[in-house]
Amino acid sequence: MRGLIRVGGSVGAGRDLRVDFFRGLALWFIFIDHVPGNRLGELTLRNIAFCDATEAFVLLAGYAAGLAYGAALDRRGWPFAAASLLRRAGTLYVAHIFLFVVFAAQVGYSASILDSPAYLDELHLDPFREQPYDALLQALLLRYQPAFLDILPLYIALLVLLVPALPLLRRPPLLLGASALLYAAARLLDLNLPNWLDGGWFFNPFAWQLLFVTGAALGYVPRPRGGPPGPAPAVPLRPGLVLGCVILLLLGAAVMLVAERAPDWLALLPEDVAVLLTTFDKSALHPLRLASILALAYLLGHAVPRGAGWLRSQPAAPFVLMGQHGLPVFCTGIFLSFLGRLALEQSDRGPMQVVVNLGGWAALVAVGLVAAWYRQRDRGEAAPAPAPLSAGLPPVTPSSTTPA
Amino acid sequence: MSSARLLRWLLLLGALLVPAARAGTRGCDLPPDLVEAGAPLPATLRAVTAGRLRILVVGGVSVLGAGTSGPEAAWPARLRALLAARRPGVEFEVTVRARQGLSTAEAGDLLAEEMARTPAQLVLWATGTFSAAKGLEVDDMVEALNERLEQLRAAGTDAVLIEPQFSRFLRANANVEPYLDALRLVAATHQLPLLRRWELMRHWAETEQVDLERTPKAERVAATDRLNECLAQAMAALLRDGAAEARRSR
Repeated sequence: MRGLIRVGGSVGAGRDLRVDFFRGLALWFIFIDHVPGNRLGELTLRNIAFCDATEAFVLLAGYAAGLAYGAALDRRGWPFAAASLLRRAGTLYVAHIFLFVVFAAQVGYSASILDSPAYLDELHLDPFREQPYDALLQALLLRYQPAFLDILPLYIALLVLLVPALPLLRRPPLLLGASALLYAAARLLDLNLPNWLDGGWFFNPFAWQLLFVTGAALGYVPRPRGGPPGPAPAVPLRPGLVLGCVILLLLGAAVMLVAERAPDWLALLPEDVAVLLTTFDKSALHPLRLASILALAYLLGHAVPRGAGWLRSQPAAPFVLMGQHGLPVFCTGIFLSFLGRLALEQSDRGPMQVVVNLGGWAALVAVGLVAAWYRQRDRGEAAPAPAPLSAGLPPVTPSSTTPA
Repeated sequence: MSSARLLRWLLLLGALLVPAARAGTRGCDLPPDLVEAGAPLPATLRAVTAGRLRILVVGGVSVLGAGTSGPEAAWPARLRALLAARRPGVEFEVTVRARQGLSTAEAGDLLAEEMARTPAQLVLWATGTFSAAKGLEVDDMVEALNERLEQLRAAGTDAVLIEPQFSRFLRANANVEPYLDALRLVAATHQLPLLRRWELMRHWAETEQVDLERTPKAERVAATDRLNECLAQAMAALLRDGAAEARRSR
């Protein structure tokens, strides 16, 4: 399995396996969290932090986009990079529509085997059954996003938003400033894309873009004139910042654990503070959620050295592989979560829990393996002789999560 | 070990030792930690002491007794009967204000309207199912709850929140967890009891006591009646606990 892991370009520092590993882990958590009733769901990030795997996924997707499209921008200019971004968004759109069809089939099947009790009948849970043509149109317009099908539309919107912002990758302060401004507008003015049934998108792209753009700014490798590209600019290690991050994450863990296990303790807080706790929204990425994921990334980025040996170990390999082939693994995960939900709807006892989780995990790893194997064979046959490397070429490592 | 905990432990032991007795009696299996009030109900205690308690129930179809054999079998009516049987000297009045497909904000308006007309000392508010099924914004639900619960507290009214009904179908096809988490947090923040209806119904379904989704259609009405009876018993237990807590903290 380790033989299929790409360790990166021949120039520069090579591929950052930390990013792959943590993306793989986030993808696995997303699968788990998309299967309600799954007992492993009590052990994922969302239980001990203000943020969850979605934030990790978006940050790392931004990182991958900054790395890949930043390199495309530097080598081939904005029109090419923009076109690749849009092509990518198109692929994601098709994947999303496919998953939507699977979703409609799953709900339909679920409803048909359920000899529905009265109160469920009256919920009108399934707009697809009542207004099929309208629902289809709204889904194509991304204005109808059923439960658990809201991350891909966000990803599509984020890629499209990145198109005009690409050149700003070279001027991070300006990029982050503009992004923060849009984030503030989204939060203060309730700026969001419309949702068919009510309100706006579950994940407001105008708010979430700040996290994605931050990831892109971190992932972009500037290419100095002449020489080889330097390592990606990172936030330096500062004791004060580390302490702040640790405090924030401990606070998040404490609040989440108390709210879940011993809500009575919240009585000890002043009421205003306690009410504040109820308003940490995920939809428009509450500042504390944003700060939490950035703090987590900062601490992990410094705690795990780039060349850490365990990243190349056998136990880490499945996650690194999943992370290196994020798109097929993500889509398969969402697809499998439909099956997982159907399975747990039949029985949510121990044996089925084991089947869903082991089967799901193995299938995700298998998808990563096949994608890696296919890519290796494809490359091996397509490029018999290594292309001459021009000096200063950035280490472009296209993958199934980044454009070829 | 406090005496309450000891008692609870003995009850649990008793329940384990005599499982066969359960089927025959009308009592429902109520895990103690799921019907704990966790907060006092002072206005309710005062009203009961004074001899008259008015309860206002707000919610969606579930409080209207959908699928039961009739209005008398719906849990608010069963709750009134249980309370009246237990405290014969007290006059209990239960008003239900509910409508199908009610968002939390709309339910809040309905609640305020009714309270302005005839104030109650205790409000039982079932919410979240419709929001979860339709994927309405969690923040909107929380905002509506925060606003109305603040008003109830200012008016000196007790309130109990009620979780959505458990259903495997709902769990599989709607993202219910964020709404459940938010309800738990709101109840804790405002120091209100929360009837863990989702957890209770899941427990009953898992232990095959009441499981509407697995009940054949012919027996569905009887099972729905049974469910409403058990919910009424759970609510009565929670109210007793809340009143007892108010008595202790007086």
